[in-house]
This record gives sequence, structure tokens and C-alpha cells, in this order.
Amino acid sequence: MSSLAVQSTEASTAQDQQASRSSFARLPSAFRLQFTVPSQMIWVPLGVFFLSWALAIGIGLWIRHLGDGTGDPFYTGASQATVWCLAFIAAYSASHTFPFSMALSYSRRVFVLGAFLAFAAVSAGFGALFSIAILLERTTGGFWAQSYTFDLPLMTQNAGALGAGVLAGTVCLGAMMVGFFWSILYRRVSLALLWVIALLLVALLAVSVMVLTQNGWWPQVFDWLGVQSSYSFAGWLLLLTLGLTAVNYLVIRRAVPTA
Amino acid sequence: MSTAVELTQVSRRYRSATALENVSLSLERDAIHGLLGRNGAGKTTLMSIAAAQDWPSSGEVKILGLRPHENEQVLPRICFVREEQRYVDDALAKHAFKAAARAFPRWDAQLAAQLAREFRVPEKTRIKKMSRGQRSAVGVIIGIASRAEVTFFDEPYMGLDAVARQLFYDRLLEDYASHPRTVVLSSHLIDEIAHLIENVVVIDQGQILLEEPVEQLRDRAVTLVGRQDIVAEVIGTREVLHHEAMGRIVRTTVLGALDEPERRALQERDVEILPVSLQQLIVRLTAREDTSNQTTMAPSEEVAR
Repeated sequence: MSSLAVQSTEASTAQDQQASRSSFARLPSAFRLQFTVPSQMIWVPLGVFFLSWALAIGIGLWIRHLGDGTGDPFYTGASQATVWCLAFIAAYSASHTFPFSMALSYSRRVFVLGAFLAFAAVSAGFGALFSIAILLERTTGGFWAQSYTFDLPLMTQNAGALGAGVLAGTVCLGAMMVGFFWSILYRRVSLALLWVIALLLVALLAVSVMVLTQNGWWPQVFDWLGVQSSYSFAGWLLLLTLGLTAVNYLVIRRAVPTA
Repeated sequence: MSTAVELTQVSRRYRSATALENVSLSLERDAIHGLLGRNGAGKTTLMSIAAAQDWPSSGEVKILGLRPHENEQVLPRICFVREEQRYVDDALAKHAFKAAARAFPRWDAQLAAQLAREFRVPEKTRIKKMSRGQRSAVGVIIGIASRAEVTFFDEPYMGLDAVARQLFYDRLLEDYASHPRTVVLSSHLIDEIAHLIENVVVIDQGQILLEEPVEQLRDRAVTLVGRQDIVAEVIGTREVLHHEAMGRIVRTTVLGALDEPERRALQERDVEILPVSLQQLIVRLTAREDTSNQTTMAPSEEVAR
């Protein structure tokens, strides 16, 4: 190689080193990538939140109207609607936003971290709305009909409105990462293997239940559940979600956009 | 000149097929390379692996001197838009361009807007509702306006009409002239891109058949049209790539350049010398490879029987 060529190579290597940047410099862009179409992650879930709530209130008022206007509080499961909606949107992110992120040359690591942070932000927003909705239901006595969609004893356990919001936000984040996981797994493996994995997970759950039953450990389990608060539940769930995020990265690491 | 894309002994094996087999390739920086080959030859796999979208089963890949897989030091300097690129659902073209602007450090928003007007990309139609040509145009615009140091275009013309294809070639060449970079362009329309590319890489059945500068390649073969006996005499020991007979007149494509005395002699004997188009040459070379593969396979097939 001529000395000129060597100099040229050295110059270009120097340029390359000069261009060195943080491996996470594009993390904010990867975060914003999830909000490329604002309706997807913001307006549709907000619409589902308020519409499902309005529907639940309407049904509550109707039932109260049919009865004598008194009676026990009426609890609905409509708060789940937004969580399911966001879980599907997260699955969509894995099937549609991931191939586009590859065209934009994001590393899979930055894409997964960006998605996690975006899902966490949306989940935090959901948690905050959940807490506000609880306060509103308490102030109005379940919209004057004892109809409660958010102020659920299961959620407010030992922690009040704020704790319920934290737990709801964490549940939402967990659900989104589960949706993301199944979608990216579908991209990675064949349909047959996907079903095998799903069945194995169900079998694992069944075996756990059987082990608890066989050893008579259910009272201890209920005792443990009884002393937990919404905060501690949220903590455990967040730990599982972080683990699942790591699994998601391992699954997506070898995923190919066209597969 | 330094190397932009370097593949060393790269193989990509799937359960039932081998897409790339021990491919070693070195593409120079700041040049337009044409990646040519038949369907299923391994073009897309090669580009996917070079752009770190797919992983090789074995071998080493380096882009601008760095391993690209999961490497944010080099990935923002690469752009690879696929033939059927998938976008965020419900996205308009402006959403895709905004996302690209945040991803590519050298993105030129003004150029993207100008190209969108020229390609007549509809502003208020969701990408998934666009025609195939309009969707291809969105990909082409991202590829050009990204000004990525290494840009891969995988058959970008799919769905584009002749006017839009010409516009793509013109704008790519213009922007390349003002902002030199490495472009790898895969295409079936070889003659259409012949004037664009400086270097040709021909891939077939997962192996690189040839990698040469276009000018050098053009000189490798000629087509002779004339009387059969005279042409046969001239050809001598040259390798025949293609032969057609029309009565006493033959049209024969041979490998090997002609020197000036040979050309003069042929003209004197009424033999017409025609240049071989890049497309013809590559078709003939690929066909020759197929034939030689079949020939070499024959004995083993016999043994198997």
C-alpha cells in the first residue's frame, strides 16, 4: 500500500473516531418514534378511557334507575378497556414500528429501550388519570349512583387513590410489554412454535397451582397477598416487567424486519 | 480510496436454503455500486446483513470500518429502504419524514419536501392507502434525503412509472454529485441504471460472480454480426457467450476485447461490431455460470444415480 493510501486510511479512521457518539444518543428519537402518529398512542387510548367510563356510568345509572335508588355499590371492570387497548397498540408497535425503526437504522437495543420508555410514559399518564378518576368517583358518590369504575377495593388496597394509580400504571406497563412480547415472538418463530411456547407457559402456571394445592400452601399465599399494598404489588410487577423487557430484547435481537 | 462495505466469508443459511455462501466483498467509499442478480440470488439478504438488519450465520461484516450490528456508532450513517418497506400504521408521508429527520443526522428536510412535490406524494393519504408507486416514492425520498454515508436501495423502482423512475435516477445522481456517498443499488432494470453505477457486483445463487468497474466490464465482450464462416474464423479460441444464426448470417457475442487491427480487419470483411449492453453481458455471464454449474454437477448426479 502506498504511503498516500495509508495516510488516507488514517485520516478516515480519525474522522470515524471524531464522529464517535454515545450509544444512546438516539434514545430520545426512538422514544418519539412511538408517538410518530399521535392518535396511536395518545388519542385512541384516551378515547377508549373516557368512552368506556361513560358507558359504565350510563349502565350504572340505568341499573340504579331500575332499582329503588339505594343498595350496595356497583363496581364495573371498564377500567380494563384502556389497558387492553394499550396492550394491542404495543403489539402493533412490535409488528409495524419495529420494521420502520430498522429502516431508520436504530439498533434493536435503542428501539426496545425507546419503546419501554414510551410505554412507561403512557402508563404513567394512565395511572395519573386512574387516580383522578378515583377522586372524582369519591367526590360524586359514584356519579350519584354508587357506580365505581376506578375506585375499586382491589386497586386501592392499603394505599388510597395514589397507590391505586401507581398500581394501575404498572399493570398497564406490564400488559403493554406482554403485548409487545407476543407480537415480536410471532415475528421471530413459526406459528407452531408460538403455540408450543404459549402452551408451555400455561402448563407452567398449572403446575405452580398444583404444587401450591398439593402442599397446602394457599393460606400462606393469601396471607402474603393480604399484607401487600398497591405500592408493593406495583413494585413486584415492575420487577417482572423489567425482566420481560430484557426477554423482549433477547427475542427482538435476532428478529428480521421482513420475517 | 477507503472501503465503505466489507464482507469477509459471509454465509447466511436458513433451515432449508443457503442465501449467501462464503461471500467476500469490498465496496469502495463514495461510489455508486450496482448489485445485480436474478430473483432469489441473495441481493436482499446481502444488503440486509450489510445494513445490520439481518445476522450472518458466519463471517464478518464491516461498514465504514466498524461492525454495524447493534452499533449506534455506525448505524445512523447507514440507510436501507426495502422494496416493500413497512411504515407505522396510519402514518402520513410527513410522519415518516419527521421520524427519519430525527433518526438521520444528515437529513435534509428541504430536499425531502422538494422530492415529495416532484414525486407527487399525496400529503393527506395514509401511506398504507397509497398506491405501490407512491409508497415506493416515500422510501426513495427517505433514502435520498437521509444523505446516509452508506445508502442501500433494494429495487426502489417497484411500482414507479417510467417518469418517476427517471426522476429518481436524476435526483439521486444530482444529490450524489453535491454530497458524495456510498450508494448500493439493486435492480433488475440493468440498462436503466447502467449510466448511474460506477461498479458492478453480480450475485447468483448466493455467490459473487463478478465485481468490476462498469467501464472495464463493458470492454469484456463484443457482439459480431456477419457471415458465419468469417465470424467463426475471427472468433478463434475466444469464449462464446451467445450465438444466434439467421441463415448464413450469425450474431455472436464473445468474451474478450478486440484490438484495433482486429477491428479494422473485421470491418473490411463486412462484419459489424456491436457493443454489448451491460444487461446483455450480465445475462450472458449469469447464463454461462448456470451452464458451467450444470456441467460440473453432471458427474456427481451420475454417481448419485
